[in-house]
Amino acid sequence: MRPGIYTDDQEEKVRIRREAKAWARSGLITEAQLALINGRTAHGLRQTNVFFRILFFLFTCIGVLAAVGLYFWLFKVRGAAALAASALFFGALGYGLAEFLVRRKSFYRHGIEEALALCSVPLVCWGIMTCLPVPDHSHSWYVTSVSLLFAAAAFWVYLRFGFLYAAVLSIASAAAVPFHLSLPPAEEKIVLAAALALILMTSIRAEGSETRDFARDRSETLQAILLAGIYLALNLRLHLLGSAFFDDHGILYDRCAGYPPWFYWTTYGLVFLVPALGLWHGIRARKRMVVNASLVLSLLTLATNKDYLGFRHYAWDPAILGAAMIVSAVALTRWLRSGQGETRNGFTARSLVKPEDHGISLADIGAAAIPGMVGAFPKPPQADRPFEGGMSGGGGASGTY
Amino acid sequence: MNMTKILNEMLHAGVLSPGQFTILDELHRNRRFSVHWELRAAVYVGVLLVAAGVALTVRQYFAQLGDIAILGSLSAGCLGAFSYCFLKGGPYSTGEVESPDLLFDYVLLFGCTCFATAIGYVETQFDALGRLWIHYLLLSAALFFILAYRFDNRLVLSLALSTLAAWFGFQLADAFAAFHRYYRESAIAYSAVCFGLGIALYRAGIKRHFLHVYLNFAVHFLLAALVAGVFEHRFSSWHLPALALAAAAVAVYAVRSRRFLYMLYAILYGFAGANALAIRFIESTGMMFLYGIGTSVGVIWLIFHLSRKYREAA
Repeated sequence: MRPGIYTDDQEEKVRIRREAKAWARSGLITEAQLALINGRTAHGLRQTNVFFRILFFLFTCIGVLAAVGLYFWLFKVRGAAALAASALFFGALGYGLAEFLVRRKSFYRHGIEEALALCSVPLVCWGIMTCLPVPDHSHSWYVTSVSLLFAAAAFWVYLRFGFLYAAVLSIASAAAVPFHLSLPPAEEKIVLAAALALILMTSIRAEGSETRDFARDRSETLQAILLAGIYLALNLRLHLLGSAFFDDHGILYDRCAGYPPWFYWTTYGLVFLVPALGLWHGIRARKRMVVNASLVLSLLTLATNKDYLGFRHYAWDPAILGAAMIVSAVALTRWLRSGQGETRNGFTARSLVKPEDHGISLADIGAAAIPGMVGAFPKPPQADRPFEGGMSGGGGASGTY
Repeated sequence: MNMTKILNEMLHAGVLSPGQFTILDELHRNRRFSVHWELRAAVYVGVLLVAAGVALTVRQYFAQLGDIAILGSLSAGCLGAFSYCFLKGGPYSTGEVESPDLLFDYVLLFGCTCFATAIGYVETQFDALGRLWIHYLLLSAALFFILAYRFDNRLVLSLALSTLAAWFGFQLADAFAAFHRYYRESAIAYSAVCFGLGIALYRAGIKRHFLHVYLNFAVHFLLAALVAGVFEHRFSSWHLPALALAAAAVAVYAVRSRRFLYMLYAILYGFAGANALAIRFIESTGMMFLYGIGTSVGVIWLIFHLSRKYREAA
């Protein structure tokens, strides 16, 4: 039995339309050709734009929380059985409404059904866990059960509705389990990384040439998230990232971060190996998300390398890393451009598909924050000089070095 | 039904040219794989890291390095970057101009950050303008504006607008907490300037695609200042009607221009303003829950109707 509430055909058509829209935006097809593609891919689903989706999601969550709160307040619900029954009732109601909106109203990534389905997960878990007795001697058993239950419920929502963030929640919740098994810290991380690696390998092995595009997109994103999860479990110095520059008190350096040396140095090798393998697989299988995740992880490896080795940080370290990134990007661009038709093995540095433009991008916001980054040298403000002390004074904010 | 099948059908029907078919088919199958945006992101993050590294180095080692070394290297970086842009850049155009290469936009951004750091250093070390030091910000902002328009660079325009915000006294570090009366008024004045500049240049036909950068800055500063005013004064000042008016205007603009990002802003800021009143005047827990239900139902109803009306924009 297929668990998905949408048919494969519907999902595929949604993907085709999205891809065609991006092509039209990039001038690769005309509006008439886009209309033709849209005409052939009528899926009967009701979608909305991303901003409305965010609003729907947010306000449905607020509405659900307020309704549950009102019910508990109005009926003065007390006692485990009443709490459990109420939570289960609201969980079932939310989930049922989500199903109804999809089945009857054909909602697809509309925000409302997403919020309802997602809110039902903690409510159902709360209901079930309230029924279960908490053993005095093993609180960890209880927490493990909650994590597993939450993971299972969220994974069901992913299977049923295809919400990727539900899968992420499920993975994150399941990833908490090893930390409640009273294992030594190194073993916790080994169990977690091994479990995530197993899921990742299974996902890669499950891919076949017949896999449909929408399913391939979805598994690609999940694989990127799993790769990041494995990396996060293994990098023992990630929590120190940037602290050498921003923490005035400094950090007492623990040579192996409190882990056995064999484990510490194994993870040191793995934080290089995991992004490298990810990059290799991503390039070979042309998986953009996996490639991008691997590149970000590689950057994190380089940024935490000195912490791993116990080397001293210098103020110019970020500049060296940045310069290395720029040089690598330029070299790669030139190498790709020098290939036949500015392409090498299908890879090109040319812009082919433009991203959607909402008027302002993350890069613009980052650029706007630069003054705060380079010019945070404030003078103490004085009563008669209210303008002074501006922390965002890039082009000349002053103070003392 | 899949994309390959549709493309094949369109090719056979003569709707798609063979050249188009080849490109689209290769794109769809990932046989043609562009890493353009990844490379741009790498250069951008690289420039940000270099700028951060330079600023950190100057701050930590200024005593050892000496003024001449610091200012010399910052000026060299700045002049080098600007020279590169003037030599490599195409002629000025009032329309959108494509960057000549991958590095171009970021070299200009790097030059601007070097300039900002150098000016900040000069002022803190030599206190050249004394009480008038704040006007360095205005000069810097003016330079960044000129460069942004000359080289059609949205990143530098954002930098110019945030530097101008600093001149208006807006503190990034304190954000909302520092939105006292003085900052609210300067944020509103800043927002008016941004809005006026953006609209004037748009009407003059100069770099019309920059309009939304201006509008984003103007909307955030205005609505944040008004929400802060409502939080402080509730019903007893002009902030509440002004917020209602501004949020409504932003929402109307969002609908008319079909830029629904502004609808998100209008509703979220409007909701924040409404919450400021609710927290103050609703004392019963039950009423608070009812308020939550009422606002969410109201917003969902409104958006649902808009969503139906503008379904094609999805």
